[in-house]
Amino acid sequence: MSLEIQNLHVRTEDREILHGVDLTVSKGETHALMGPNGSGKSMLANTIMGNPNYEVTEGKILLDGEDLTGAAPDERARAGLFLAFQYPATVPGVSVANFLRMAVNAGREEPIKVKEFGAMLGENMDLLKIDRAFTKRYLNEGFSGGEKKRAEILQMAMLKPAIAVLDETDSGLDIDALRIVSDGVNAMRGPEMGSLIITHYTRILNYVKPDFVHILLDGRIVREGGSELADELEEKGYEFIREEVAANAG
Amino acid sequence: MPASFVEEIRSAALARYESEPIPNWRRSGFWTTSLRGLDLDALEPRRYEPIAGREDLPEVARDAIGEQERAGLIVQRGASTIASVLDPALAEQGVIVCSLEQAVEEHPELVEPYFMKRLSYEEGKFSAATAAFWTGGAFVYVPDGVVVADPIQVLYLIDEPGTVQYAHTLVVIGENAEAYVREACVATDFEGQALHAGAFEMYCAAGSNARLSHYQDWGSGEVHDISVKRVEIGRDALCKWVPIHLGGHLTKQQLDIITAEQGSDMRHSGLYFTQGTEHLDLFTTDRKEQANTTGDTVWKGALTGASRASYEGLIEIIPGATNSHTYLQTHSMLLSPKAKADAIPSLIVEVDNVSASHGGTVGEIDEELVFYMMTRGVARQEAVRILVEGYFEEVVQRLGDPQLEELCRRRISEKILAAKDTVAEFIAQR
Ligand SMILES: Nc1ncnc2c1ncn2[C@@H]1O[C@H](COP(=O)(O)OP(=O)(O)OP(=O)(O)O)[C@@H](O)[C@H]1O
Ligand SMILES: [Mg+2]
Repeated sequence: MSLEIQNLHVRTEDREILHGVDLTVSKGETHALMGPNGSGKSMLANTIMGNPNYEVTEGKILLDGEDLTGAAPDERARAGLFLAFQYPATVPGVSVANFLRMAVNAGREEPIKVKEFGAMLGENMDLLKIDRAFTKRYLNEGFSGGEKKRAEILQMAMLKPAIAVLDETDSGLDIDALRIVSDGVNAMRGPEMGSLIITHYTRILNYVKPDFVHILLDGRIVREGGSELADELEEKGYEFIREEVAANAG
Repeated sequence: MPASFVEEIRSAALARYESEPIPNWRRSGFWTTSLRGLDLDALEPRRYEPIAGREDLPEVARDAIGEQERAGLIVQRGASTIASVLDPALAEQGVIVCSLEQAVEEHPELVEPYFMKRLSYEEGKFSAATAAFWTGGAFVYVPDGVVVADPIQVLYLIDEPGTVQYAHTLVVIGENAEAYVREACVATDFEGQALHAGAFEMYCAAGSNARLSHYQDWGSGEVHDISVKRVEIGRDALCKWVPIHLGGHLTKQQLDIITAEQGSDMRHSGLYFTQGTEHLDLFTTDRKEQANTTGDTVWKGALTGASRASYEGLIEIIPGATNSHTYLQTHSMLLSPKAKADAIPSLIVEVDNVSASHGGTVGEIDEELVFYMMTRGVARQEAVRILVEGYFEEVVQRLGDPQLEELCRRRISEKILAAKDTVAEFIAQR
């Protein structure tokens, strides 16, 4: 199974931000997407999930050959897509446990048995070293930045998506949390999941080694390569890439 | 022979009633509350026989009462008290739970000091009507120092069209006493008109710790509810009051909570959910009369269909109430394109050295949140339901009453599902 993004053009109300993005992420692969602030990474992630604020004017999003470009977000989720948000929303009055149960049940015909859910939740919380008391709190209400990110990964672990997009999950994590989250992601890695890790730092990529690295600049993917590209980028910065792109274009 | 203090008020109130026109209440928002649609002359007080037990009540009343132990229970159907129960162990401690009529006969010395102390028949035609015509009623008296663990339940039921119900509840919580009083106002789903004109007064004496809930679900009939509810809190006493409005054709209520003496404290948390063509007009007052009083008011509402709801919340701090601290928050959530709401906090502060803050918002469901939930596979309708339930949770939990909390959750959930077409239409238009 793979997620194929073909010639994707996306605009907000006032302007086009993504100018024709091509990207394929298959199950079993780990991709990194890097790019400077404002280059359109989060917009790409959100468009993959069908955020209604963003309009696709051209191009397609396919999952396993099926066209999801116009599909509702819940349909995409049930088809196997997942996004760990850069800025996760706060859901007042809904506890982490209830939220997770609801999300898990949304993808099933029969609601999950209480015991099975409890076991699965316990296992994943252990994996991500999350305190059990957490489940009673309202989702993301009063959570620290790092706790929110961990809660996103907990949702990912519970939902077991085919293709997961992690939008700057590493930002705001302390060193220990980064290791825990990376270990968690690595534990989920395998032939059953493909991931697209959006990041500014090679730090997370040292834990979760990507198979491919893509660089997004001003709404276009301008360079692609293996994990060495991330190191090159760290060393030389985006200005270098920008100049290189300009030189090639000129 | 009825006590003369009651009869005097009745006759003065009657004169007042006859001289007053039927009012139109002008809102500071964008509509008026009018009784033009109500055929008052066609309504009559209806009499009923006592019942043997809760099982003889209609479902909506049984749901409101719940199944657990009640320290005491008063049920008024139409104009008649049809159930009056009190735990004998509490009776021995001097607790009284009976109809107000009976209390006036048997305990006039306990009723007289409080009866209409904070209510007046001069507050408009319907307060005059209630003072003149009330029958049955409820009297709850918890003597000084007595702790009543189980809830005391008062229930007003209307189950026939053409009914007018004049209700009067008087609650007295003695010094250092503790009690939880629940009042429910419910109707079966009938076709036709009815009127509930209610007066509720509660006095929490020094050092007492009281909880009070109002649960209103007037069903789908054309029940008009015009009521005044007032709570007075004495020195160093605390009252937590949670009014729940889950339906009514037209409701016009004034809910006032008065922290009347040094150190008195209150929490007032309410919610409403309107649907169809329901009209809800609420005015609450947080009145501070002496120094070092505190308060905290939170009201949340949601509207579906073509319903109208106006919430106006006043904080009033009179001279002498120095060093008082209070705040008021109100939110209304529109779930339909045809619904209209306003949320108007206001402030009258006549003294320095106090802190009072307030805020009011009218909004729609947060699309950002709906999107977030949908990315987890949850369908839009379900996401909306969960978000609205979550929105109300803050108030529901303040009930601190598992049975009533469950009932509110269930009813809110049913109402959202029932309105899902207008909610969907709303979403489609955006
Ligand atoms: N809803 C919106 N309305 C208008 N402009 C938007 C909206 N969302 C994003 N943008 C703009 O689109 C551009 C790309 O934003 P995006 O969030 O995708 O950047 P990013 O690459 O994720 O940056 P960062 O590294 O800072 O997270 C920015 O210029 C941003 O201001
Ligand atoms: Mg971003």
